[in-house]
Amino acid sequence: MLEIEIDGQLVNAEPGEMVIAVTDREGISVPRFCYHKKLSISASCRMCLVDVEGAPKPQPACSTPVADGMKIHTQNDKAKASQKAVMEFLLINHPLDCPICDQGGECELQDVAVDYGSDVSRFSEGKRIIAPSDIGPLIQTDMTRCIHCTRCVRFGSEIAGIMEMGGTGRGEDLKIEPFLKEGITSELSGNMIDVCPVGALTSKPFRYELRSWQMNSINSIARHDLVGSNLYAQTYKGNVKRLASGDNDAVNETWISDRDRFSYEGLTHDNRLLAPQIKVAGQWKEVEWDVALDFAVKGLKNNILNSRNVQKLGGLASATATTEELHLLQKLLREMGCENLDYRLNIKDLDNAIHLQSNIKLADLEHIDQAIVIGSNIRLEQPMINHRLRKAQLAGAGITTLNVKEFDFNYKTNDIIVAPNEIANTLAGVLRVLVEKSAEEVPAYLLAVTPCAQAIDIASSLLNSDKTVLILGEHVVNNAQAASIANLITEIAKLSNSLTLNLTVTANALGAQRVNFVPNSTGMNVNEMLAAEMRAFVLLDVYPEYDFHHLDEALNTLLNNDVFVISLNGFKNDLVAQYSDVMLPMAAMYETSGTHVNINHEMQSFSAAVGAPGESKPAWKILKVLADLLELPGFHYENSTQVLSEVAHQMTPVHEYDTAINLDKSTVEVETIWTHSPYHTDALLRHATSLRASKIGQINTASINAATAKSLSLSDSDTYLGVPVDITETMADQCVFISSNQATNTGAL
Amino acid sequence: MISDNAKKQIDSWIEKYPEGKQSSAVMEALKIIQKENNNQLTHDSIQAVADYLDMPGIAAAEVATFYENYNHQPVGKHIIRFCHNISCMLNGADDLISHLETKLGVKTGEVTDDGLISVKKVECLGACVGAPMFQIGDQYYENLTIDKIDKIVDGLK
Repeated sequence: MLEIEIDGQLVNAEPGEMVIAVTDREGISVPRFCYHKKLSISASCRMCLVDVEGAPKPQPACSTPVADGMKIHTQNDKAKASQKAVMEFLLINHPLDCPICDQGGECELQDVAVDYGSDVSRFSEGKRIIAPSDIGPLIQTDMTRCIHCTRCVRFGSEIAGIMEMGGTGRGEDLKIEPFLKEGITSELSGNMIDVCPVGALTSKPFRYELRSWQMNSINSIARHDLVGSNLYAQTYKGNVKRLASGDNDAVNETWISDRDRFSYEGLTHDNRLLAPQIKVAGQWKEVEWDVALDFAVKGLKNNILNSRNVQKLGGLASATATTEELHLLQKLLREMGCENLDYRLNIKDLDNAIHLQSNIKLADLEHIDQAIVIGSNIRLEQPMINHRLRKAQLAGAGITTLNVKEFDFNYKTNDIIVAPNEIANTLAGVLRVLVEKSAEEVPAYLLAVTPCAQAIDIASSLLNSDKTVLILGEHVVNNAQAASIANLITEIAKLSNSLTLNLTVTANALGAQRVNFVPNSTGMNVNEMLAAEMRAFVLLDVYPEYDFHHLDEALNTLLNNDVFVISLNGFKNDLVAQYSDVMLPMAAMYETSGTHVNINHEMQSFSAAVGAPGESKPAWKILKVLADLLELPGFHYENSTQVLSEVAHQMTPVHEYDTAINLDKSTVEVETIWTHSPYHTDALLRHATSLRASKIGQINTASINAATAKSLSLSDSDTYLGVPVDITETMADQCVFISSNQATNTGAL
Repeated sequence: MISDNAKKQIDSWIEKYPEGKQSSAVMEALKIIQKENNNQLTHDSIQAVADYLDMPGIAAAEVATFYENYNHQPVGKHIIRFCHNISCMLNGADDLISHLETKLGVKTGEVTDDGLISVKKVECLGACVGAPMFQIGDQYYENLTIDKIDKIVDGLK
């Protein structure tokens, strides 16, 4: 520990720290533009010049390491004069267009200019102008305002992992611009808006909307993935106008994915369900809430309660619901004596469901030495988890991926391409090597396994590394050997002392698990319900054509005239309208208070940033009133916090599951893996227009290799299950990998 | 995009750097590609160099746009690279450049109709002792006067 003196004040500092890190910690303000705590130091703007005693010239605080006994002045004449001089240079080419600049009011240059700028410019020559360029639907550029701090360039190469922006030309002709004609495509690109200290890069959907001081800023949680990134919802007159990243080193550091940043656009989409509706003689009718709820209660009584056949009632929910909503729905069903409930709508065969724990902290992911990623395009599917892995790789960790297709990662990976029906076998090979090394007896199911070269490599990389993690991704969810793959990973983790990360569930699925939103042995799971003769359903935010794996069966059951369906939805949907008898409009993300459970089982609660639009209500309130009308006990909640405290007092349920490992290969000739493309994973995202227009939002491909395409008589111009075919050679044989922004078309699978 | 011959030349430059530092060869690689493509770099050729050296396209473009010796517009068979930095400027470079422009009927940055000559203003070429000066190919021409320029230019074929 060193002791230094800043402006006469003695402070402690760590060896190797830069002066600016110390002043920031001590709350001493030093102006800066190019310095950013999470980016490398460029020391190019020179705004942070301070006077260091003994040094003949002023020193940049961002790149001057502390030394014991150093005396620094940030406010004396020499420091002030240098800072003012730099400010004058920076303003030479900066336009005076603050009144029409979106950054106005939250601009670092504007703020610093108030303190350090001169009232009158001495620069009478012409200012340079940069022609506008379009870099995509998310970021608005106005590079005439750019002060060349290169934060966006460094963000691209250091954090996003693809250098998209760069400085071309030299001297006065230096321009910050992307090279690629398609503009900026990174899944984290929106962070450039946050790091840009001026109005050169601003949010395109937010352009000319409002001034920062007109908005309220409310802490919230993004619920599109397993991380639960912390962010600020900025609101004006009851609408979310913008989302900006929040700081939480344990969760998302200071970055958020584009998916989290721009999803709010969906909230004001025309397609919102705004009023309760009931179906009378086949016709939809908008009614008051009490009428709709009475109608729902009567429907439940007539179909279920009066005839005492509660086993013919089912409850299904989307995993994007809040923990409180899921808790209340399961409580409502269970209080009626109904044990038929499920959130795992996308699983083909629930006897083959994956059980794998996640036992590594997000922040610890960046300190691992070796990661094995199985069945995941983790970069696009879980961008913030991928960001941690990337940091680990840059620090020297080895990342091996086991996928059906070679994906584009933003760090070095050792990619192993295996067919879906070979994944279990490859992992069994890894396990066999580990078992033999550990001198344990080889279990019967491994006796016939001969480890392939890649399995031997994986096993030795696990044994030769200290901190290892096994990551299982969503492509394996409906693999014919899904359960065995998960169990193999558990076994491999035990023998190699690895931690595991289960990315096969997403959004708030861990919240659903926490409140036990699955049937016990007496109830039916989703697929059993869809095959049974049911009389009534309560559906929480379900969009059938995207959510159900067995869509045909689901529609068959739900469209039956004898089945009474109560749907709570945030958005209108034709199929929902066809099968429902009553539709109750519910608040979407940012419109309700609630809790998200992330991959570390952290419960992150948030309040409603805005009220729900139209007549819609937070779903926890709808469910509470529904329970009251059904005269069920124990629903005396006044706010969602009371619901949460009830959840917190309950034990996390532990379910028995089959740990058997079965290595019998599937005999399906061509395996198809269906995934939603990254910006189409939930209803809010599917209504976010700018995200949909972005390059990632446009992903809609069925990847297939030439040999398999030939065997299926497909060419590049064909479609497979309605998705355009993309023939690629970095792809396993006899399988199709689909990433689609269309409705699920898994009927044939 | 990159010919086998060019690849061979670039590879010999890559060999001069430690393994994994192949992007250090970017300047020479750009030069080699430029030479093969009518003395001009295009968006695609910069991208091709970047791909070959496993570096981002923008990083190669940063280099290609920083240095004067890469051409991003069509150029003539001979490029007259006229210095207009301080020493040459003080010694009348601006007047000589105007003369050259009038004589050839082109502005700086343009090519003569017959595709023979283009004129480019460049920064200091390190020959201040002989200012004003320009460079054609590998040759420096110093202590320029209008007569001298006429003679040199008339001799270009």
